[in-house]
Amino acid sequence: MASVRTEALTKRFGSITALRDVSLEIADGEFFAVLGPPGAGKTTLLRTIIGLETPDGGDVFVDEERITETYPGDRDIAIMFQNLALYPDKTVYGNLAFPLKQARVPRREIRRRIEETAVKLHIERLLERKPAKLSGGERQRVALGRALVREPRAMLLDEPLSALDALLRLEMRSELKRLQRDLGRTLIYVTHDQVEAMTMPDRVAVLREGEVQQVGRPEEIYHRPSSHFVASVIGSPPMNLIPAVVESANGRLRVVHDQFVVEALAPVERLSAGGSCYIGIRPEDVHLSSGEGFAGRVYATEPLGGETVVDVTIGGRIIKLITAGASGLSQDAPVRVTFDASRLHLFDADGTTVLSSAGDGSLLRVKDAGRT
Amino acid sequence: MRSRSVSLRGVGRLLAIVLVGAGFLAPLYWMVTMSFKPQAEWNPIGQTIWFPHHPTLDNFRNILGLTSQNTVFFQANSTDASGPIVHSLIAATGGTLIALFIGVLAAYGIARFRAGGRMLPFQILQLRMFPPVAIIIPLLIMMSYLHLVDTYPGLWLVYGAVTFPFVVWLMRSFFQDLPREIGEAAIVDGCTQWGALFKAILPNVKGGLAATALFVFILNWSDFLIALVLTQQNVVTAPVFLNSLQSAGAGQEYGPQAALGLILILPPAILGLVIQRYLVRGLTFGAIKR
Repeated sequence: MASVRTEALTKRFGSITALRDVSLEIADGEFFAVLGPPGAGKTTLLRTIIGLETPDGGDVFVDEERITETYPGDRDIAIMFQNLALYPDKTVYGNLAFPLKQARVPRREIRRRIEETAVKLHIERLLERKPAKLSGGERQRVALGRALVREPRAMLLDEPLSALDALLRLEMRSELKRLQRDLGRTLIYVTHDQVEAMTMPDRVAVLREGEVQQVGRPEEIYHRPSSHFVASVIGSPPMNLIPAVVESANGRLRVVHDQFVVEALAPVERLSAGGSCYIGIRPEDVHLSSGEGFAGRVYATEPLGGETVVDVTIGGRIIKLITAGASGLSQDAPVRVTFDASRLHLFDADGTTVLSSAGDGSLLRVKDAGRT
Repeated sequence: MRSRSVSLRGVGRLLAIVLVGAGFLAPLYWMVTMSFKPQAEWNPIGQTIWFPHHPTLDNFRNILGLTSQNTVFFQANSTDASGPIVHSLIAATGGTLIALFIGVLAAYGIARFRAGGRMLPFQILQLRMFPPVAIIIPLLIMMSYLHLVDTYPGLWLVYGAVTFPFVVWLMRSFFQDLPREIGEAAIVDGCTQWGALFKAILPNVKGGLAATALFVFILNWSDFLIALVLTQQNVVTAPVFLNSLQSAGAGQEYGPQAALGLILILPPAILGLVIQRYLVRGLTFGAIKR
């Protein structure tokens, strides 16, 4: 077990910069996720940490020991590749035994450790089988087992659940989380699935085009995203982003949209009158209302059973909201919606967050623009 | 009407298949029947013998050195081919091993590390683009400087050099088909680069390796030209010996030639059977998730 630190890691492939000044600190025993869309450099980050890629700049430390030039096999870090890369010619037992044999672990100890790991992962009945005879979920467990059995200082998992069907993924999600807590092992987990990034880790780093956008606890990133990019990769359905114009009235900033006005009750930096900006609000913070609120029409409804996602057209834009149970609304029905002012976000024209109210209702106020 | 025209086409197709098949099998038929014919039936003037009238195993006995020399007219050249068969086995096996060793390593370097640049595989293939006969004389001179004429190492070197381009090209594609991560997993698991190749990668291209080995062995096994020029008497390979199976008295020794030809099919055929299980098996089932 160990802490892992990267310092200004940069990696280029030809003219493409896959990683740009990536500095992360992962504590001993932490479950750390790296979230980003495909091509964000997530896999390159893992490959650089384990030494399969040599960085063009920056360093990797494990427990403050610099390992940037250490041979991958000597780093005592395990990786589970996205395509798993089980050894097809070896049985499950052979796959698990391989790293131990390389480390010259005595035969008896190898057997003991494999049995222990197999029980943990519920693969004890599969030990004599070849990977070709395993189901997708079983292969997943074997690959995880091969990483676990070495008892490495840290484990890197590259999209470990991406190839599983939805049900199995759900099951493995909680199982993996439990396993990590039980083992207390440092885990770096790469995913493009925002649900995995929300539900499993202690902390998340959001990566975009090789750059770290934000690092923090999942709820922190959820409530206080640093940019509308971060806001859009976490949460489902994604946050509503409404373009608006900044005005100044009575010394206060107002953000004006066709149908409503968001008034800043306190001074807001980095927004100036006349500029454009974005108002962000998550679907769960938009509510259907019977009396007050902004008028709109139902564009479509997506009943999910327990809740319904309703797309409402307001001022020519579609705003998604989530309501409990069945909405009972038909297409094109007129509705009124209200925004929870304590859950609003303001982004500047570049998408950088200017303000997230994050539960504080005293920062912003939403008013009807009075034009319909 | 329609069904009749269809069946006519079917008959025509069948006829074509039979004709072409017969064309290809005729020499083989000749060889098999000839190997069982006594000398009188080899090439009787004005007569075609389709099937041996008096089948005999004498040709095989002679070829394998199991009888004293045939004495029909007078002492012919020796027809005992057991020595040449052994020589051929040694020469072809050595050449095949050299080609495999160099070729596999080169193919791995090219497939994984793009060793030698983008053009190297093509340059290697170019080695095969002129006929060996074009360089056989310079080769002979070089070999004589090296005192390797009429020796096994001489043949091994040339066989290895002539066939290793095939190994590179075949093995390169097998290596490329194997997910790169399997080798990387082995490295992360504590193997050196060499260890990863031998313990994790080669076991998973067994099928390709076996097919390549068989292909190269057949090439070396059936070589006539190189052995003819580079050897004299210490090393006499079977194809060269086969060619010498003629005598002033008996002319072409058709019977022993056919028997030897039949025997020469055996080593590649046996090798093929032994490694068949690797040839037909899929390559990387289960290595990656899909």
